Amino acid sequence: MKFMESLLRIDRRIIYIVMGILVMLPLIRPLGLGVTSGPRATRLFDSVDSIPAGKTLLIAVDFDPASMPELYPMLTAVMRHAFAKNVKVLLCGLWVPGAGLAVQAATEIPPEYGKKYGEDVVYLGWKAGVDAVILGMGENIKNVFPNDYNGKPLESLPMMRDVQRLRDIPMIVAISAGDPGYRDWLLYAQSRYGIKVGAGVTAVSAADAYPYLQSGQLTGLLAGMKGAAEYEVLVQKKGYSKAYMPAVAAMDSQSLAHVVIMILVIIGNIAYFATRKRGA
Amino acid sequence: MHISTSILTWIAAVLTVGIFSFLWKDNPFYKFCEHLFVGVSVGYSIALTWYNSVYPDLFQPLFLKPLSAVPIGRKLLLIIPLVLGLLYFCRFIPKVSWLIRFPMAFVFGWASGVAIPAFFQTNIVRQIQGTLLTPGIFARWDVLLWAIISLVGVVCSVFYFFFSKEHKGALKLASETGIIFLMVGFGASFGYTVMARMSLLIGRLQFILRDWLGVIR
Repeated sequence: MKFMESLLRIDRRIIYIVMGILVMLPLIRPLGLGVTSGPRATRLFDSVDSIPAGKTLLIAVDFDPASMPELYPMLTAVMRHAFAKNVKVLLCGLWVPGAGLAVQAATEIPPEYGKKYGEDVVYLGWKAGVDAVILGMGENIKNVFPNDYNGKPLESLPMMRDVQRLRDIPMIVAISAGDPGYRDWLLYAQSRYGIKVGAGVTAVSAADAYPYLQSGQLTGLLAGMKGAAEYEVLVQKKGYSKAYMPAVAAMDSQSLAHVVIMILVIIGNIAYFATRKRGA
Repeated sequence: MHISTSILTWIAAVLTVGIFSFLWKDNPFYKFCEHLFVGVSVGYSIALTWYNSVYPDLFQPLFLKPLSAVPIGRKLLLIIPLVLGLLYFCRFIPKVSWLIRFPMAFVFGWASGVAIPAFFQTNIVRQIQGTLLTPGIFARWDVLLWAIISLVGVVCSVFYFFFSKEHKGALKLASETGIIFLMVGFGASFGYTVMARMSLLIGRLQFILRDWLGVIR
Protein backbone atom coordinates (compact mmCIF):
# COMPACT_ATOMS: atom_id res chain seq x y z
CA MET A 1 0.00 0.00 0.00
CA LYS A 2 2.90 2.30 0.61
CA PHE A 3 3.68 1.96 -3.08
CA MET A 4 0.14 3.06 -3.98
CA GLU A 5 0.39 6.03 -1.62
CA SER A 6 3.72 7.00 -3.09
CA LEU A 7 2.10 7.01 -6.55
CA LEU A 8 -0.28 9.68 -5.34
CA ARG A 9 2.63 11.78 -4.12
CA ILE A 10 4.85 11.78 -7.20
CA ASP A 11 6.65 15.11 -7.38
CA ARG A 12 5.08 17.07 -10.23
CA ARG A 13 8.56 18.03 -11.41
CA ILE A 14 9.32 14.38 -12.16
CA ILE A 15 6.18 14.25 -14.31
CA TYR A 16 7.25 17.44 -16.10
CA ILE A 17 10.73 16.05 -16.82
CA VAL A 18 9.37 12.73 -18.10
CA MET A 19 6.82 14.55 -20.23
CA GLY A 20 9.43 16.99 -21.57
CA ILE A 21 11.80 14.18 -22.58
CA LEU A 22 9.06 12.10 -24.17
CA VAL A 23 7.78 15.08 -26.16
CA MET A 24 11.28 16.08 -27.23
CA LEU A 25 12.52 12.67 -28.40
CA PRO A 26 10.10 12.22 -31.35
CA LEU A 27 10.92 15.75 -32.52
CA ILE A 28 14.60 14.77 -32.76
CA ARG A 29 13.99 11.23 -34.02
CA PRO A 30 10.47 10.92 -35.55
CA LEU A 31 8.60 7.69 -34.92
CA GLY A 32 6.66 7.89 -38.19
CA LEU A 33 3.28 7.08 -36.67
CA GLY A 34 1.54 8.89 -39.52
CA VAL A 35 -1.52 11.11 -39.72
CA THR A 36 -4.87 10.18 -41.23
CA SER A 37 -7.34 12.87 -42.24
CA GLY A 38 -10.77 12.76 -40.65
CA PRO A 39 -14.11 13.74 -42.17
CA ARG A 40 -14.18 17.19 -40.55
CA ALA A 41 -10.88 18.30 -42.10
CA THR A 42 -11.79 16.64 -45.39
CA ARG A 43 -15.06 18.57 -45.54
CA LEU A 44 -13.21 21.85 -45.09
CA PHE A 45 -10.61 20.82 -47.64
CA ASP A 46 -13.31 19.90 -50.18
CA SER A 47 -15.09 23.20 -49.65
CA VAL A 48 -11.94 25.23 -50.24
CA ASP A 49 -11.12 22.95 -53.17
CA SER A 50 -14.46 23.71 -54.79
CA ILE A 51 -13.89 27.49 -54.89
CA PRO A 52 -13.48 28.45 -58.56
CA ALA A 53 -10.09 29.79 -59.63
CA GLY A 54 -9.95 33.57 -59.56
CA LYS A 55 -12.46 33.87 -56.71
CA THR A 56 -11.46 35.07 -53.27
CA LEU A 57 -11.25 33.20 -49.99
CA LEU A 58 -11.46 35.28 -46.82
CA ILE A 59 -9.27 33.98 -44.00
CA ALA A 60 -9.87 35.53 -40.60
CA VAL A 61 -6.71 35.54 -38.49
CA ASP A 62 -8.42 35.62 -35.11
CA PHE A 63 -5.63 34.40 -32.88
CA ASP A 64 -2.53 35.59 -31.12
CA PRO A 65 1.02 34.21 -30.74
CA ALA A 66 -0.09 32.16 -27.70
CA SER A 67 -2.08 29.89 -30.02
CA MET A 68 0.48 29.93 -32.81
CA PRO A 69 1.60 26.26 -32.57
CA GLU A 70 -1.96 25.08 -33.14
CA LEU A 71 -3.37 27.67 -35.49
CA TYR A 72 -0.54 29.10 -37.59
CA PRO A 73 0.00 25.77 -39.43
CA MET A 74 -3.73 25.85 -40.30
CA LEU A 75 -3.37 29.35 -41.70
CA THR A 76 -0.38 28.46 -43.86
CA ALA A 77 -1.92 25.16 -45.05
CA VAL A 78 -5.20 26.81 -46.08
CA MET A 79 -3.30 29.63 -47.82
CA ARG A 80 -1.12 27.12 -49.71
CA HIS A 81 -4.24 25.21 -50.75
CA ALA A 82 -5.91 28.38 -52.02
CA PHE A 83 -2.86 29.59 -53.95
CA ALA A 84 -2.33 26.16 -55.52
CA LYS A 85 -5.93 26.38 -56.81
CA ASN A 86 -5.37 29.97 -58.01
CA VAL A 87 -7.84 31.23 -55.44
CA LYS A 88 -7.08 34.72 -54.12
CA VAL A 89 -6.71 35.21 -50.39
CA LEU A 90 -8.08 38.12 -48.40
CA LEU A 91 -6.79 38.25 -44.84
CA CYS A 92 -8.30 40.19 -41.98
CA GLY A 93 -8.52 39.82 -38.24
CA LEU A 94 -10.68 40.48 -35.22
CA TRP A 95 -7.76 40.02 -32.80
CA VAL A 96 -5.27 42.85 -32.38
CA PRO A 97 -2.21 40.66 -31.59
CA GLY A 98 -2.89 38.54 -34.67
CA ALA A 99 -1.74 41.32 -36.99
CA GLY A 100 1.92 40.32 -36.89
CA LEU A 101 1.08 36.69 -37.67
CA ALA A 102 -1.08 37.65 -40.65
CA VAL A 103 1.72 39.85 -41.99
CA GLN A 104 4.17 36.97 -41.60
CA ALA A 105 1.88 34.58 -43.49
CA ALA A 106 1.12 37.14 -46.21
CA THR A 107 4.85 37.67 -46.68
CA GLU A 108 6.10 34.07 -46.54
CA ILE A 109 3.49 31.96 -48.38
CA PRO A 110 2.57 33.82 -51.64
CA PRO A 111 6.12 33.78 -53.13
CA GLU A 112 6.11 29.93 -52.95
CA TYR A 113 3.41 30.01 -55.64
CA GLY A 114 4.60 33.09 -57.52
CA LYS A 115 1.70 35.12 -56.10
CA LYS A 116 1.95 38.85 -55.60
CA TYR A 117 0.65 41.11 -52.89
CA GLY A 118 -2.24 43.22 -54.13
CA GLU A 119 -3.03 40.87 -57.00
CA ASP A 120 -3.44 37.52 -55.26
CA VAL A 121 -3.34 38.35 -51.57
CA VAL A 122 -4.34 41.37 -49.48
CA TYR A 123 -4.18 41.85 -45.73
CA LEU A 124 -6.82 44.29 -44.53
CA GLY A 125 -5.55 44.52 -40.96
CA TRP A 126 -7.56 44.90 -37.82
CA LYS A 127 -10.37 47.27 -36.81
CA ALA A 128 -12.13 47.77 -33.51
CA GLY A 129 -15.76 46.68 -33.16
CA VAL A 130 -16.28 43.03 -34.03
CA ASP A 131 -19.93 43.00 -35.14
CA ALA A 132 -19.71 46.45 -36.70
CA VAL A 133 -16.66 45.34 -38.70
CA ILE A 134 -18.34 42.21 -40.10
CA LEU A 135 -21.64 43.93 -40.80
CA GLY A 136 -19.80 46.85 -42.39
CA MET A 137 -17.83 44.45 -44.61
CA GLY A 138 -21.17 42.98 -45.64
CA GLU A 139 -22.22 46.40 -46.95
CA ASN A 140 -18.91 47.61 -48.36
CA ILE A 141 -15.45 46.42 -47.40
CA LYS A 142 -13.89 49.76 -48.40
CA ASN A 143 -16.05 51.63 -45.90
CA VAL A 144 -14.54 49.61 -43.05
CA PHE A 145 -11.05 49.23 -44.48
CA PRO A 146 -10.38 52.16 -46.83
CA ASN A 147 -6.71 51.13 -46.76
CA ASP A 148 -4.96 47.80 -46.29
CA TYR A 149 -2.66 47.09 -43.35
CA ASN A 150 0.24 48.83 -45.09
CA GLY A 151 -1.80 51.98 -45.67
CA LYS A 152 -2.38 51.42 -49.40
CA PRO A 153 -5.86 52.45 -50.57
CA LEU A 154 -7.91 49.36 -51.44
CA GLU A 155 -8.91 51.00 -54.71
CA SER A 156 -5.29 50.83 -55.83
CA LEU A 157 -5.09 47.06 -55.28
CA PRO A 158 -6.15 45.06 -58.39
CA MET A 159 -7.50 42.15 -56.33
CA MET A 160 -10.02 44.35 -54.55
CA ARG A 161 -11.73 45.49 -57.76
CA ASP A 162 -13.82 42.31 -57.80
CA VAL A 163 -14.32 42.19 -54.06
CA GLN A 164 -16.64 44.93 -52.91
CA ARG A 165 -18.61 43.24 -50.14
CA LEU A 166 -18.81 39.91 -48.30
CA ARG A 167 -21.28 38.50 -50.85
CA ASP A 168 -18.47 38.64 -53.43
CA ILE A 169 -16.60 36.09 -51.35
CA PRO A 170 -17.77 32.45 -51.64
CA MET A 171 -16.26 31.25 -48.37
CA ILE A 172 -14.73 32.35 -45.09
CA VAL A 173 -12.28 30.29 -43.07
CA ALA A 174 -12.14 31.66 -39.55
CA ILE A 175 -9.05 30.54 -37.67
CA SER A 176 -9.97 31.35 -34.11
CA ALA A 177 -8.45 31.04 -30.68
CA GLY A 178 -11.67 32.09 -28.93
CA ASP A 179 -13.90 35.15 -28.93
CA PRO A 180 -14.13 37.07 -31.17
CA GLY A 181 -13.83 34.34 -33.74
CA TYR A 182 -15.72 31.85 -35.87
CA ARG A 183 -18.94 32.39 -33.86
CA ASP A 184 -19.01 36.04 -34.88
CA TRP A 185 -18.51 35.13 -38.53
CA LEU A 186 -21.43 32.69 -38.16
CA LEU A 187 -23.55 35.26 -36.32
CA TYR A 188 -23.11 38.11 -38.74
CA ALA A 189 -21.58 36.89 -41.99
CA GLN A 190 -23.43 33.61 -42.39
CA SER A 191 -26.81 34.31 -40.84
CA ARG A 192 -27.14 37.65 -42.62
CA TYR A 193 -25.29 37.13 -45.89
CA GLY A 194 -25.44 33.34 -46.20
CA ILE A 195 -21.72 32.87 -46.74
CA LYS A 196 -20.14 29.45 -46.15
CA VAL A 197 -17.99 29.45 -43.02
CA GLY A 198 -15.33 26.92 -42.12
CA ALA A 199 -13.35 27.05 -38.91
CA GLY A 200 -10.00 26.19 -37.47
CA VAL A 201 -10.01 26.32 -33.70
CA THR A 202 -7.76 25.57 -30.76
CA ALA A 203 -8.29 22.16 -29.22
CA VAL A 204 -9.61 23.79 -26.04
CA SER A 205 -12.54 25.30 -27.91
CA ALA A 206 -13.12 22.40 -30.32
CA ALA A 207 -15.86 20.78 -28.23
CA ASP A 208 -17.86 24.03 -28.39
CA ALA A 209 -17.58 24.11 -32.18
CA TYR A 210 -18.98 20.63 -32.83
CA PRO A 211 -22.68 21.61 -32.49
CA TYR A 212 -22.21 24.15 -35.31
CA LEU A 213 -20.64 21.47 -37.46
CA GLN A 214 -23.39 18.96 -36.73
CA SER A 215 -26.08 21.52 -37.59
CA GLY A 216 -24.36 22.27 -40.89
CA GLN A 217 -23.55 25.87 -39.98
CA LEU A 218 -19.84 25.15 -40.21
CA THR A 219 -18.67 23.73 -43.52
CA GLY A 220 -15.72 21.98 -41.92
CA LEU A 221 -13.65 22.06 -38.79
CA LEU A 222 -9.98 21.80 -37.93
CA ALA A 223 -9.53 21.07 -34.23
CA GLY A 224 -6.17 21.92 -32.71
CA MET A 225 -2.78 20.82 -33.95
CA LYS A 226 -4.25 17.47 -35.08
CA GLY A 227 -6.67 19.32 -37.35
CA ALA A 228 -3.79 21.37 -38.76
CA ALA A 229 -1.82 18.18 -39.40
CA GLU A 230 -4.81 16.60 -41.17
CA TYR A 231 -5.13 19.60 -43.47
CA GLU A 232 -1.39 19.66 -44.17
CA VAL A 233 -1.56 15.99 -45.17
CA LEU A 234 -4.53 16.62 -47.47
CA VAL A 235 -2.74 19.53 -49.13
CA GLN A 236 0.43 17.47 -49.70
CA LYS A 237 -1.48 14.37 -50.87
CA LYS A 238 -3.06 16.41 -53.65
CA GLY A 239 0.37 17.72 -54.59
CA TYR A 240 -0.48 21.32 -53.71
CA SER A 241 2.55 21.80 -51.51
CA LYS A 242 5.91 20.30 -50.68
CA ALA A 243 6.60 22.64 -47.80
CA TYR A 244 7.66 21.57 -44.32
CA MET A 245 4.65 20.47 -42.27
CA PRO A 246 5.13 21.68 -38.67
CA ALA A 247 1.88 20.18 -37.36
CA VAL A 248 2.55 16.76 -38.92
CA ALA A 249 6.08 16.84 -37.48
CA ALA A 250 4.58 17.39 -34.03
CA MET A 251 2.06 14.54 -34.17
CA ASP A 252 4.45 11.83 -32.91
CA SER A 253 5.17 13.93 -29.83
CA GLN A 254 1.49 14.63 -29.39
CA SER A 255 0.60 10.93 -29.56
CA LEU A 256 3.34 9.96 -27.11
CA ALA A 257 2.27 12.72 -24.71
CA HIS A 258 -1.32 11.48 -24.84
CA VAL A 259 -0.21 7.92 -24.03
CA VAL A 260 1.72 9.22 -21.01
CA ILE A 261 -1.27 11.26 -19.84
CA MET A 262 -3.58 8.25 -20.20
CA ILE A 263 -1.17 6.05 -18.22
CA LEU A 264 -0.87 8.71 -15.52
CA VAL A 265 -4.67 9.10 -15.28
CA ILE A 266 -5.12 5.32 -14.99
CA ILE A 267 -2.32 4.96 -12.40
CA GLY A 268 -3.69 7.92 -10.45
CA ASN A 269 -7.19 6.42 -10.37
CA ILE A 270 -5.98 2.95 -9.37
CA ALA A 271 -3.84 4.41 -6.59
CA TYR A 272 -6.66 6.67 -5.42
CA PHE A 273 -9.24 3.87 -5.22
CA ALA A 274 -6.76 1.45 -3.63
CA THR A 275 -5.79 3.89 -0.88
CA ARG A 276 -9.41 5.02 -0.35
CA LYS A 277 -10.57 1.42 0.10
CA ARG A 278 -7.86 0.90 2.68
CA GLY A 279 -8.81 4.10 4.48
CA ALA A 280 -12.50 3.09 4.58
CA MET B 1 23.63 21.29 -34.61
CA HIS B 2 23.51 24.90 -35.84
CA ILE B 3 22.88 27.30 -32.99
CA SER B 4 21.11 30.46 -34.10
CA THR B 5 23.13 33.64 -34.35
CA SER B 6 20.03 35.85 -34.41
CA ILE B 7 19.75 38.06 -31.35
CA LEU B 8 15.94 37.99 -31.61
CA THR B 9 15.90 34.18 -31.53
CA TRP B 10 18.18 34.25 -28.49
CA ILE B 11 15.92 36.72 -26.68
CA ALA B 12 12.85 34.56 -27.46
CA ALA B 13 14.68 31.41 -26.36
CA VAL B 14 15.93 32.89 -23.08
CA LEU B 15 12.42 34.18 -22.31
CA THR B 16 10.96 30.75 -23.12
CA VAL B 17 13.39 29.10 -20.72
CA GLY B 18 12.48 31.77 -18.16
CA ILE B 19 8.79 30.96 -18.42
CA PHE B 20 9.50 27.21 -18.24
CA SER B 21 11.54 27.78 -15.07
CA PHE B 22 8.22 28.20 -13.23
CA LEU B 23 7.70 24.45 -13.63
CA TRP B 24 10.53 23.94 -11.16
CA LYS B 25 9.40 26.68 -8.80
CA ASP B 26 8.41 30.33 -8.78
CA ASN B 27 11.46 32.57 -9.20
CA PRO B 28 12.40 36.19 -10.02
CA PHE B 29 13.44 35.33 -13.59
CA TYR B 30 9.99 33.88 -14.28
CA LYS B 31 8.37 36.96 -12.72
CA PHE B 32 10.47 39.20 -14.96
CA CYS B 33 9.44 37.25 -18.08
CA GLU B 34 5.79 37.24 -17.03
CA HIS B 35 5.69 40.99 -16.42
CA LEU B 36 7.58 41.67 -19.62
CA PHE B 37 5.04 39.60 -21.56
CA VAL B 38 2.09 41.46 -20.04
CA GLY B 39 3.70 44.84 -20.68
CA VAL B 40 4.68 44.06 -24.26
CA SER B 41 1.24 42.59 -25.04
CA VAL B 42 -0.59 45.63 -23.72
CA GLY B 43 1.81 48.06 -25.40
CA TYR B 44 1.54 46.23 -28.71
CA SER B 45 -2.27 46.20 -28.53
CA ILE B 46 -2.44 49.90 -27.67
CA ALA B 47 -0.12 50.83 -30.53
CA LEU B 48 -2.06 48.73 -33.04
CA THR B 49 -5.40 50.06 -31.79
CA TRP B 50 -4.14 53.61 -32.25
CA TYR B 51 -2.59 53.14 -35.68
CA ASN B 52 -5.29 50.84 -37.11
CA SER B 53 -8.43 52.30 -35.65
CA VAL B 54 -8.30 55.50 -33.59
CA TYR B 55 -5.84 57.44 -35.76
CA PRO B 56 -7.19 56.67 -39.28
CA ASP B 57 -10.89 56.54 -38.35
CA LEU B 58 -11.16 59.36 -35.82
CA PHE B 59 -8.09 61.50 -35.14
CA GLN B 60 -6.95 61.99 -38.73
CA PRO B 61 -10.32 62.85 -40.32
CA LEU B 62 -11.39 65.01 -37.37
CA PHE B 63 -8.24 67.02 -36.68
CA LEU B 64 -5.73 66.59 -39.51
CA LYS B 65 -7.67 66.39 -42.75
CA PRO B 66 -8.92 69.69 -44.25
CA LEU B 67 -12.60 70.45 -44.83
CA SER B 68 -12.08 69.80 -48.53
CA ALA B 69 -11.26 66.18 -47.73
CA VAL B 70 -13.70 65.61 -44.89
CA PRO B 71 -16.97 67.59 -45.00
CA ILE B 72 -18.04 69.51 -41.90
CA GLY B 73 -21.05 67.21 -41.44
CA ARG B 74 -18.80 64.16 -41.13
CA LYS B 75 -16.45 66.00 -38.79
CA LEU B 76 -19.36 66.91 -36.51
CA LEU B 77 -20.56 63.31 -36.64
CA LEU B 78 -17.15 62.10 -35.51
CA ILE B 79 -17.38 64.24 -32.38
CA ILE B 80 -20.06 61.87 -31.03
CA PRO B 81 -17.83 58.76 -30.81
CA LEU B 82 -14.97 60.96 -29.58
CA VAL B 83 -17.05 62.29 -26.68
CA LEU B 84 -18.53 58.87 -25.91
CA GLY B 85 -15.05 57.35 -25.91
CA LEU B 86 -13.63 60.04 -23.65
CA LEU B 87 -16.50 59.57 -21.20
CA TYR B 88 -15.09 56.10 -20.43
CA PHE B 89 -12.18 57.84 -18.69
CA CYS B 90 -14.61 59.45 -16.21
CA ARG B 91 -14.30 56.15 -14.38
CA PHE B 92 -11.04 57.48 -12.91
CA ILE B 93 -12.64 60.69 -11.52
CA PRO B 94 -15.01 59.78 -8.66
CA LYS B 95 -17.06 63.00 -8.88
CA VAL B 96 -18.07 62.44 -12.49
CA SER B 97 -17.72 58.66 -12.67
CA TRP B 98 -21.48 58.38 -13.26
CA LEU B 99 -20.96 59.81 -16.75
CA ILE B 100 -19.60 56.44 -17.84
CA ARG B 101 -23.23 55.29 -17.99
CA PHE B 102 -23.72 57.16 -21.28
CA PRO B 103 -21.17 55.25 -23.38
CA MET B 104 -22.10 52.03 -21.58
CA ALA B 105 -25.78 52.56 -22.36
CA PHE B 106 -24.94 53.27 -25.99
CA VAL B 107 -22.79 50.16 -26.32
CA PHE B 108 -25.29 47.91 -24.53
CA GLY B 109 -28.21 49.22 -26.53
CA TRP B 110 -26.47 49.01 -29.87
CA ALA B 111 -24.83 45.65 -29.22
CA SER B 112 -28.05 44.09 -27.92
CA GLY B 113 -30.02 45.30 -30.91
CA VAL B 114 -27.48 43.91 -33.33
CA ALA B 115 -26.58 40.71 -31.50
CA ILE B 116 -29.88 39.37 -30.15
CA PRO B 117 -31.58 38.56 -33.50
CA ALA B 118 -28.36 37.12 -34.94
CA PHE B 119 -27.64 35.16 -31.78
CA PHE B 120 -31.19 33.79 -31.70
CA GLN B 121 -30.97 32.72 -35.33
CA THR B 122 -27.49 31.16 -35.07
CA ASN B 123 -27.46 29.63 -31.62
CA ILE B 124 -31.10 28.73 -31.03
CA VAL B 125 -33.09 28.35 -34.25
CA ARG B 126 -30.34 26.66 -36.27
CA GLN B 127 -29.28 24.52 -33.31
CA ILE B 128 -32.85 23.31 -32.73
CA GLN B 129 -33.11 22.57 -36.45
CA GLY B 130 -29.89 20.57 -36.18
CA THR B 131 -31.33 18.51 -33.35
CA LEU B 132 -34.62 17.65 -35.05
CA LEU B 133 -35.16 14.35 -36.83
CA THR B 134 -35.86 15.17 -40.46
CA PRO B 135 -36.84 12.74 -43.28
CA GLY B 136 -33.36 13.01 -44.82
CA ILE B 137 -31.82 11.51 -41.69
CA PHE B 138 -33.64 8.18 -42.24
CA ALA B 139 -31.75 7.56 -45.50
CA ARG B 140 -28.68 6.17 -43.68
CA TRP B 141 -28.73 4.12 -40.51
CA ASP B 142 -25.53 5.61 -39.04
CA VAL B 143 -26.76 9.19 -39.55
CA LEU B 144 -30.08 8.22 -37.98
CA LEU B 145 -28.34 6.63 -35.00
CA TRP B 146 -26.21 9.72 -34.31
CA ALA B 147 -29.23 11.99 -34.78
CA ILE B 148 -31.21 9.98 -32.21
CA ILE B 149 -28.26 10.06 -29.76
CA SER B 150 -28.01 13.84 -30.24
CA LEU B 151 -31.73 14.28 -29.67
CA VAL B 152 -31.73 12.12 -26.52
CA GLY B 153 -28.61 13.89 -25.27
CA VAL B 154 -30.05 17.38 -25.76
CA VAL B 155 -33.44 16.55 -24.24
CA CYS B 156 -32.00 14.70 -21.23
CA SER B 157 -29.34 17.37 -20.58
CA VAL B 158 -32.03 20.06 -20.61
CA PHE B 159 -34.06 17.97 -18.16
CA TYR B 160 -31.06 17.89 -15.81
CA PHE B 161 -31.30 21.69 -15.60
CA PHE B 162 -35.08 21.61 -15.04
CA PHE B 163 -35.44 22.60 -11.38
CA SER B 164 -39.15 23.39 -11.12
CA LYS B 165 -40.07 19.82 -10.26
CA GLU B 166 -38.41 17.21 -8.04
CA HIS B 167 -36.39 14.73 -10.08
CA LYS B 168 -38.41 11.55 -9.50
CA GLY B 169 -39.60 8.76 -11.79
CA ALA B 170 -39.26 9.51 -15.50
CA LEU B 171 -37.76 12.92 -14.77
CA LYS B 172 -35.07 11.29 -12.64
CA LEU B 173 -34.26 8.81 -15.39
CA ALA B 174 -34.04 11.61 -17.95
CA SER B 175 -31.89 13.86 -15.75
CA GLU B 176 -29.54 11.01 -14.83
CA THR B 177 -29.19 10.14 -18.50
CA GLY B 178 -28.47 13.84 -19.01
CA ILE B 179 -25.63 13.63 -16.46
CA ILE B 180 -24.02 10.84 -18.51
CA PHE B 181 -24.10 13.03 -21.62
CA LEU B 182 -22.73 15.98 -19.66
CA MET B 183 -19.89 13.85 -18.27
CA VAL B 184 -19.03 12.63 -21.77
CA GLY B 185 -19.00 16.29 -22.87
CA PHE B 186 -16.72 17.29 -19.97
CA GLY B 187 -14.44 14.35 -20.72
CA ALA B 188 -14.18 15.37 -24.37
CA SER B 189 -13.43 18.95 -23.33
CA PHE B 190 -10.73 17.77 -20.91
CA GLY B 191 -9.18 15.55 -23.57
CA TYR B 192 -9.07 18.45 -25.99
CA THR B 193 -7.62 20.70 -23.27
CA VAL B 194 -4.78 18.21 -22.69
CA MET B 195 -4.18 18.13 -26.43
CA ALA B 196 -4.11 21.94 -26.59
CA ARG B 197 -1.62 22.29 -23.74
CA MET B 198 0.63 19.61 -25.22
CA SER B 199 0.49 21.41 -28.58
CA LEU B 200 1.74 24.59 -26.94
CA LEU B 201 4.58 22.70 -25.26
CA ILE B 202 5.47 21.02 -28.56
CA GLY B 203 5.39 24.38 -30.32
CA ARG B 204 7.87 25.85 -27.88
CA LEU B 205 10.11 22.77 -28.00
CA GLN B 206 10.08 22.92 -31.80
CA PHE B 207 11.22 26.53 -31.54
CA ILE B 208 13.99 25.64 -29.08
CA LEU B 209 15.22 22.60 -31.00
CA ARG B 210 14.84 23.96 -34.53
CA ASP B 211 15.08 27.75 -34.51
CA TRP B 212 17.43 28.18 -31.54
CA LEU B 213 19.62 25.09 -31.22
CA GLY B 214 19.28 23.82 -34.79
CA VAL B 215 19.03 20.22 -33.61
CA ILE B 216 16.12 19.42 -35.92
CA ARG B 217 15.43 20.58 -39.46
